[in-house]
Amino acid sequence: MPVKVILCRCEDVTLADLEHAVSLGYTHIEEAKRYTGLGTGPCQGKECLVPTCLYLAKATGERPEEIRPFTARPPIAPVALGTLAGATGGGGEDQGGQAPRGKESAS
Amino acid sequence: MSPPSAPASPAPSDPSSSPTRTPDCAIDFEGQSVPAVAGEPVAVALFASEVRVLSRSIKYHRPRTFFCLSGHCGACLMRIDGQPNVKACRALCRPSLQVERQNAFPSVGFDVLEAADFFFPRGMDHHTMFTSPRPLNVLMQKVVRELGGLGKLPDQAPPTLPAGERLRVDVVIVGGGPAGLAAATAIRRARPTASVLLVDEADRVGGSLLSWPGAGPGDGLRSAQRLENEARQAGVELRTSATALAWYPEDEGGLLAIDDHGHLVRVRAQRYIYATGGYETNLLFGNNDRPGILAARAVGLLLSRYGVMAGRRPVIVGQGAYAEALAQALGRAGAEVTHVDGERVRAVAAHGNTWVRRLDVEEGGQTRRLRCDLVAVAATPAPATDLPRQHGAQVLLTPAGGGFACQVREDGQTESPGVYACGDVCGYRGPAAAQEDGERVGRAVAASL
Repeated sequence: MPVKVILCRCEDVTLADLEHAVSLGYTHIEEAKRYTGLGTGPCQGKECLVPTCLYLAKATGERPEEIRPFTARPPIAPVALGTLAGATGGGGEDQGGQAPRGKESAS
Repeated sequence: MSPPSAPASPAPSDPSSSPTRTPDCAIDFEGQSVPAVAGEPVAVALFASEVRVLSRSIKYHRPRTFFCLSGHCGACLMRIDGQPNVKACRALCRPSLQVERQNAFPSVGFDVLEAADFFFPRGMDHHTMFTSPRPLNVLMQKVVRELGGLGKLPDQAPPTLPAGERLRVDVVIVGGGPAGLAAATAIRRARPTASVLLVDEADRVGGSLLSWPGAGPGDGLRSAQRLENEARQAGVELRTSATALAWYPEDEGGLLAIDDHGHLVRVRAQRYIYATGGYETNLLFGNNDRPGILAARAVGLLLSRYGVMAGRRPVIVGQGAYAEALAQALGRAGAEVTHVDGERVRAVAAHGNTWVRRLDVEEGGQTRRLRCDLVAVAATPAPATDLPRQHGAQVLLTPAGGGFACQVREDGQTESPGVYACGDVCGYRGPAAAQEDGERVGRAVAASL
């Protein structure tokens, strides 16, 4: 089995992927996120944000205090669409309600 | 596939260290009956029955199991009760619960898609991959569409949707660890008429205390119970299995959205306190995602809360009071523990197919091979600042504190008026310091009401 250093578990982004991105000039955390996809999975960067920032600080010579995290977009945890739909009223505001019956959902 | 070198077995019934696990029901795991304790997480029941691989990773289909066991790492998503992408570490066992693995072909045990791991031995740059010639690109788009995504939609739509709820309280506290509980109690004691709501995403409050093993001052379960009792006696409303999802500033003058057992609760409060603690983080070494490499606090939780020994020959990597406590607890429970500091003796690469069997470490240029059946990573938890950041808090990258720490004034208030933070979210200092911090900030918040 190939030896990989996994930086972002959710999106299978390796340390080599980050090194590659940095070698192309993507040295800001937002750029690294957009180029490699790290931090965009189910955990939204809870595990990879800090090691990535520390790596980038080392690679660019920036002081850690100067580095900002990427934007924490809502929601911060996965949530069922039904939870949101029920709350805004399928059959009345805050009353829950019937789930919409469309075409049978394809998988 | 190789079996683990030692089975997970119930921890010995030493009352000072951990409970004894006694299964009292069975869940249905892909047609197989797996013994479980009603109310324990699905991930724990499967682990105790030696189901080692819970999922496959999204691109390379590498074998995965939980890492954090606390709802954050995203590595234990399974199809549970017909719902895709449910966290097996948060879903609780009940008789005949249907549990299946997802994201593999033909099965998670033998997944041909793992070939991708060999085709791309270092990583992949999807920006330039198969972009020409055009026919190849078109073909690859089709293949990727088939392979992409995680999980399949539920078999049928639910007959009804869960109703929402709106709450207005004086204070809402996110996180029921030592900091949050202490803050909640302090507020009610100083202001008995103030309504205080505390939400925690786990099925019981206690936070990091629940994973603190051992007897005496380090007995986390006992401390957690005491803090919980105090909060209840003080009149705090505790809601568990309630995950704070987001701060939406645009809606109704700002509201905190909480997923409470699948129901959406929209909370508005005079004061918001974030006592969200820290997320487990991993160290960077070869095959650091191999099943059997767990966050140290997951290993502690298995032992002290669920009565499951995670391994007989564990290697603990990392420093600090928690790593020490875990090493002692595992040793007391009969494990053959190797403890390396992770700096002077550095993890280089893990080996083993579907479960870790060996960890290579480097010390002064020399590589040593450590045979093991478990690696417990004791890295400093990263402050869980996503929510306070959404709510206007400023953070500062402080490596000694585990990551981006919330910046607060003396009274615990962030840059955002009425928004407070306390405990490990302001930089990791451990449960005793978090409790003190919570108490102090709770008193300050009470005085501000």
